[in-house]
Amino acid sequence: MRRLTITVAFLTIFASLFGGMAAAYALGGYLESVWYTGASALSNLVILMLVFVMVIATLLTLAERKWSALMQNRVGPNRARIHLPGLSSRSLAGIPHIIADVVKMLTKESFTPKAANRFFYALAPILSFAPIFALFAIVPAGPTLPVFGHEVAMVVANPSFGLLYLFALASLAVFGTVLAGWASNNKFSLLGGIRACAQMISYEIALGLSLVGLMMAFASIQLAGDSGMMEQQAQYLWGIQLDGFDVGIPAWGILIQPVGFLLFFAAAFAETRRTPFDMTECESEIIGYFVEYSGMRFGMFMVAEFVEMIVFSAILTTLFLGGYHLPFGGQWFANLAFFKDYPWVYGATMGMVFWLKVLVLIYIQMNIRWTYVRFRYDQIQKLGWKILIPLGILNIFVTGALLLMDTSMRSLGLLGILEILLILILISSSPKSSLHKPIGQNEALPSHH
Amino acid sequence: MNDSSPKTPSPPTPVPPPAPPKTPPPPKNPGMVTLSVDDKEVVVKPGTSLIVAAHQVGVKIPHYCYHPRLSLSANCRMCMVEASNAPKLVPACQATVAEGQVVKTDTPKVKAQQRAVLEFLLLNHPVDCPICDQAGECKLQDYYVRYDFKPSRLWGPKVQKNKRKVLGPTVLMDQERCILCTRCVRFMKEVAKEPQLGIFGRGSHERVDVFPGAKLDSNYSGNLVELCPVGALLNRDFRFKARAWFLSAAPSVCTACSRGCNVFADYMNQDCFRFRPRENAAVNQSWMCDVGRKSYRWAGENRALHTLSHGKPVSVDEALNRAASLLQKAQGSIGVLASPAASNEDLMAALAFARDVLKVNMVFVSGRPDGAADKLLMMADKNPNRKGLEYIALALGIELKPFETFTPSAFQAVWVLGGEMPESDIVMAARLKTVPTVVQAQHASEWAHECQVLLPVASHLETECSMTQHEGLLQRCRQAFPPKGDSAPHWQWVMRLANLLGARMDWSSAKDVFSTIAPRIPEFANFDWEGQAPSKQSRPGLPLPAASDGRPPAYRQFACPSAKGCSP
Amino acid sequence: MSHSESHSESHSENPKSAYDFWERLYVPALIKGMAITTRHFLRNLWSERDDNTEVLERKTQSLMATVEYPEQRVPYPTGYRGKHRLVPREDGKPRCVACYMCATACPSQCIYIEAGEYAPSDTNTASRVIEKYPTVFMVDVLRCIVCGLCVEACPKDALRMDTSVHTSPELERKAFLYAKERLLAGEPTQHPNDPWRHRKSSDEPLHAHKEAHTRIGEDP
Repeated sequence: MRRLTITVAFLTIFASLFGGMAAAYALGGYLESVWYTGASALSNLVILMLVFVMVIATLLTLAERKWSALMQNRVGPNRARIHLPGLSSRSLAGIPHIIADVVKMLTKESFTPKAANRFFYALAPILSFAPIFALFAIVPAGPTLPVFGHEVAMVVANPSFGLLYLFALASLAVFGTVLAGWASNNKFSLLGGIRACAQMISYEIALGLSLVGLMMAFASIQLAGDSGMMEQQAQYLWGIQLDGFDVGIPAWGILIQPVGFLLFFAAAFAETRRTPFDMTECESEIIGYFVEYSGMRFGMFMVAEFVEMIVFSAILTTLFLGGYHLPFGGQWFANLAFFKDYPWVYGATMGMVFWLKVLVLIYIQMNIRWTYVRFRYDQIQKLGWKILIPLGILNIFVTGALLLMDTSMRSLGLLGILEILLILILISSSPKSSLHKPIGQNEALPSHH
Repeated sequence: MNDSSPKTPSPPTPVPPPAPPKTPPPPKNPGMVTLSVDDKEVVVKPGTSLIVAAHQVGVKIPHYCYHPRLSLSANCRMCMVEASNAPKLVPACQATVAEGQVVKTDTPKVKAQQRAVLEFLLLNHPVDCPICDQAGECKLQDYYVRYDFKPSRLWGPKVQKNKRKVLGPTVLMDQERCILCTRCVRFMKEVAKEPQLGIFGRGSHERVDVFPGAKLDSNYSGNLVELCPVGALLNRDFRFKARAWFLSAAPSVCTACSRGCNVFADYMNQDCFRFRPRENAAVNQSWMCDVGRKSYRWAGENRALHTLSHGKPVSVDEALNRAASLLQKAQGSIGVLASPAASNEDLMAALAFARDVLKVNMVFVSGRPDGAADKLLMMADKNPNRKGLEYIALALGIELKPFETFTPSAFQAVWVLGGEMPESDIVMAARLKTVPTVVQAQHASEWAHECQVLLPVASHLETECSMTQHEGLLQRCRQAFPPKGDSAPHWQWVMRLANLLGARMDWSSAKDVFSTIAPRIPEFANFDWEGQAPSKQSRPGLPLPAASDGRPPAYRQFACPSAKGCSP
Repeated sequence: MSHSESHSESHSENPKSAYDFWERLYVPALIKGMAITTRHFLRNLWSERDDNTEVLERKTQSLMATVEYPEQRVPYPTGYRGKHRLVPREDGKPRCVACYMCATACPSQCIYIEAGEYAPSDTNTASRVIEKYPTVFMVDVLRCIVCGLCVEACPKDALRMDTSVHTSPELERKAFLYAKERLLAGEPTQHPNDPWRHRKSSDEPLHAHKEAHTRIGEDP
């Protein structure tokens, strides 16, 4: 019964992703035809950002608790019930908790401390939510396709300064955090704000450095578009055609820049300020920069955290995991006769692939958050300044040297695959017993004769 | 109860200082008897009992019927010891010492005897310790735990007797608990000289009782409760009021008459529960009268606890200001009434204040009226400190005048120190109505309640103080608990009044008062105020004092749990 | 040389011996940690949940150990100390004789008792016999540390904590002061040696021959 439910739930997720993307294409095409060329950007704004991102963020508030429960052998939230006939005895996988939470957030008093700076206190949640949310504008969620006779691009905006937009907005998020910490006029929140400031500014550098190699490899900082960083990942480093079905090693960012991927992943994770990088929050000691916030203002901080996860996952997907592209058989799939007649089905399928990649990355982030313990303050700084930044610089030099020798990215890909293999070997060859050996039990116990 | 007191040798044979040890035998110390008790050498007068001799070297021999101030009966058999000059065990209370005797008190034979006696005593004992007031200070309990500690071998019913026999106004008897030591019978015959009790019946049905148709109405019947080693004789007044181990004991003096019997005031929190006589060979030996025994209530009943003005509560400062201005106005024409029930320190402060600040050279003596006296302890003069008042007034050059000559209308104001009056409340109210009056009193009597200013005074249990009894003997009282409410000792009120009137009196304790003024009084000059005070920790007679485990006295908060709006 | 000494010494000689190269590499351990978490996640997600309250006897692959309390309850062990109760006699009055043993034993001093006396003319036989009873018996359960020493101390089997009931939540502090009426609950209990089963009052029983010898062990 449970397996059936879970299978159905998975299928529902696929179906709704597919349906959502199909609707996005349809609305985009409709707007293009009835309004002006480029009007699909508006529909993308609504469907991709307001519907997809916000709905997933909302669901994540529950998923965070439910998944962590599964990881920790618990049941998770299941007490909120909908009091309708037939429903009141069912926990509905905790879904009513979302409703309850939203109602609570909206109706709770939004408290302002007496000595707080009222203006900045009110501004901080907006500042921490808006830039992160706006980041998603440059992420393409599907291929550009003709719908109703008009080209529909599945991206809100495709500026030529793509990655610069990313860095610019990502570094704005720190203002919300620091302002919240300072304006609350609370010692603990100020501590949280200062920690956030130090941590996020350190990791901005690593975040930027980690992508330089990728920019050099793709010779572009635009994300979407034909020459954009994502379209370039559709090509194969080494590929062959098997009876029309294309197989090979794609030029995904993770293969040509595995170090860049790890650095970006770590830096992005630190930017989201989630465990193990949650120095700013530290529920167990200072509660964090938002300690004085309540009601929907606190809700903004909370939702911002989840939106941040989604947005960084989407950017990671776009930059390193080939966006909406399949790892192989992409050309064969695109050339299927059925899709020539119904291009929006192809687009919706590719969009679904994109969102599934995003969901997997979100799961990995959750997994990390519920597996590792919090870094100490000095460890965070050490990791940022002594490991990530030198590695990033080294990565730039190595990438540059290899690109000078060979512009086709093949040597880069070779190095990347070697690096990945090295990590896999390290994992599989580490002796098992060493992990379970109790510390200090090396000596034999003295005999008591 | 005081039989285990270390300072209490048998009165007919007071113990002299040990003679200097000399070398070889026959009489090792001429004129004295030398023996060994548990390998310790003892030198005593001939004719001393073994129990006293053993006590001298710190060997405690368990006993029930023996009491140093009563005749010997040797019926409980608990004090049997092994002596080298007797083939069988001998009762240590009765056997006298012999030269070269070797006494053993902890041989297996003695232990078996002690166990056998306890088992015998417990055969018909109901073991109803849960409802027995003696529990906690019961010798049967203590000796059972110490010398027997074996489960009972008896099964089946015990002999049933009267468990609630009212013997008289003070004493109630549980005949089942009685172990027939006859201490009570002997006390009534020998000390109180009112033989009202006897032993009736035979065998298991033997019991202590009053003679048919008679009542135990002696004024000394309360002593039986302390004498009784078990819970057979109980104080009707104290019955079921508190458990013995919750009470702490403060050494004090009974203030019911001028005898000044030494007592322990047993108290918990801020309440006194009973007086028990405290050993003092010079004053009361081991006894006290029932009237004094009940006087513990005076410290708690009908107390004035707030500063009043015309019967209405006012703040302490307000009351003092009114009193001061009243006395200020009447300067030169103030009538002072001093009570001989107040303590020495209070009277010293008050008379010094009257002479130096109020400029008064005669003081009227109030105090409780005379009452009944008896042959043993109770005096007709019911004021505990009349002698002290006389000494102090003489030394300070103040003339004492009898109360009969006191006419309030001759003065512009009256200052009353101590609320004890020879006249009834109504008469006093009528007499003092005509003139502004400042009263310092312990009790809220009607006339004191209606006067201009009433300053509440702490009882003698709430302060450190001293009293001079009728023979001129100065005795110390220890503070049991802090003063209740606004009340304070007389000397504190006097000091504050004096400071308001411009004089400088600066005392921080009763000891200060005494050491400032006593040097002027020849009778008090050599009194070591601190050194003569009985130690507060000592609690002879009770094997389990509340503070024996290192806790401060009355540490236990045995009080009703309270929450807002809740009172049981 | 004791074990602890050898332990500390070996560490001072070679402080790095606690971790080997693989452990100091961290990355494999990090990945393995994530694998463990994911294994738990998938196992708990995929397999049916068994909600047997005996957690150790659960049969399915799911590792969830939760017992959902108000609906499911783990049976209390036999020695469980629940809410206090004053054990009633057969006639409904408390067995308690106000001996203060519980109040004396109580380490948190949460029991308060005031004793009273049943009149010799009380209509109730048991009351006439035992004389003493608590007029006030209060337990401040907020102060109580549920140690059970009062039950151990009670010589009359008058106080028990066998109710298997928790202290119930209340809205007011004073509602946690359990008075005698609230404490008096549960099955009445009697014992063979209860004094009121052997006599009718605290007076001396009327024997036909008082002096006739009743030996110890015989019923008079």
